[in-house]
Amino acid sequence: MELKKTPFYEIHKRLGARMVPFSGFSMPVQYLSIIEEHEAVRNNAGIFDISHMGEFLLEGNDVFDFLQYIMINDLNLLEMSKGQYSCMCYENGTVVDDLVYYEETPTRFRMIVNASNVEKDFKWLNDHIGKYDVKITNLSNERCRLAFQGPNSDELLQKLIDVDLSKINRFYFSHCLLNSNPIFIARTGYTGERGFEISLENKNAEKVWDVLHKTGAKPAGLGARDSLRLEACYSLYGHEISKSITPVEAGLFWLVKPKEGIDYIGKEILLKQKSQGTERIIVGLNLLDRGIIRDNCKIFHNDIQIGYVTSGGYSPTLKKTIGLGLVKKDYSNVNTEIKIEIRKKLLKGIIAEIPFYRNV
Amino acid sequence: MDYKFPEGLKYTATHEWVLLKDDVATVGITDYAQHQLGDIVYVEMPDLGMVFERGSNAGEIESVKAVGEIIMPLSGEIIETNSKIIDNPELVNSSPFEEGWIIKIKLSHTDEIEELVSKEDYIKIVESEEA
Repeated sequence: MELKKTPFYEIHKRLGARMVPFSGFSMPVQYLSIIEEHEAVRNNAGIFDISHMGEFLLEGNDVFDFLQYIMINDLNLLEMSKGQYSCMCYENGTVVDDLVYYEETPTRFRMIVNASNVEKDFKWLNDHIGKYDVKITNLSNERCRLAFQGPNSDELLQKLIDVDLSKINRFYFSHCLLNSNPIFIARTGYTGERGFEISLENKNAEKVWDVLHKTGAKPAGLGARDSLRLEACYSLYGHEISKSITPVEAGLFWLVKPKEGIDYIGKEILLKQKSQGTERIIVGLNLLDRGIIRDNCKIFHNDIQIGYVTSGGYSPTLKKTIGLGLVKKDYSNVNTEIKIEIRKKLLKGIIAEIPFYRNV
Repeated sequence: MDYKFPEGLKYTATHEWVLLKDDVATVGITDYAQHQLGDIVYVEMPDLGMVFERGSNAGEIESVKAVGEIIMPLSGEIIETNSKIIDNPELVNSSPFEEGWIIKIKLSHTDEIEELVSKEDYIKIVESEEA
């Protein structure tokens, strides 16, 4: 199957990016150096093409009730012009997807979902509409998305935008103009830094990228996106949460809300897990020996396998190997000594406190 | 992309370079290979005294996002490894042909040298991979 291209594809090629297949798209994994891109986001600002992610518009009189039924978080905590992070789960509590939705009006919500789950989510949502008055439009291909992240992102972006960014608090959003191009902008991100995520029409893609790039922000690829989110310990679908891992096991127990009188999908098992705990849980990992740990490496304690690495790699900020792993609860205390198997060798490590880094 | 292909070296199709002096070969990865891997953060080297056949895997090179192998270009014994790149693996990126060398091999079958690739042929290999 031919890979899809985002509206920024030609720009990536021009910048010399290394393109890789990712969720059906040809995406930049890095331009010149993942470490330099990572550091630019930690110290100044970076621009990411995240157009591979999905974008849906949900409209109708029952959108609120529908989302209350399908999401584990409580929409009563939401208000106009605000977004909310949540998961939608299967009956057994494992995860269909994690996502953010934004309340534009009481009858109109915008939703941003993971690239790898766009079609599955669209079907899941439609399959559960039932009696609800809801219409879902998939805007993923007609609009594109960027993330603008870093400690200087406010300052660099403010000059280009016709609203006061200091009035947009975390998880709030605005529809406004960026150099006269209409955009949706939310103060959200996946890097552990201050920053914004932007959605816009494809036809304005190159113009908007160019003005953002001229601010001095550095283009950053999927490699830096992953190393940044791993330091910040944000769950990645297919790794820390998945069709076989629940949000409670992933440490996202705070997303599971009681929602009195609402029988949402997965409620029973998730509330039980939240109050009683789970057999296994996502923990932080530090490697004491030299080496790099990668996904699916086995984790041992006294020669007994206690779990596996869900995400692992090098932390450019901490300059050491870090990871996340799913382990048995009895071995999940910080500083528990562990061994991690890589290429048939057992390397020493410990359970670490998480997040490794966050500056938001 | 413009990559460096120094004179006086032999190459392999698996992107190692070889500097021959008598029956000792100094081995590293090429400029093209380090570009493909990206920022190198760890090199796992073989122990001194280990003996490998040509074509076997003698170590690993880990970048932030990928893992590359050190493939033995020639059969022989590991007589030296570059201790500098243990603490400074980025030398493999910044100086792949000099400070970033990886291992020295005492050759057991010098006739294998014939199997190595010339600079001109190696450039063709890189060009075909890039295309």
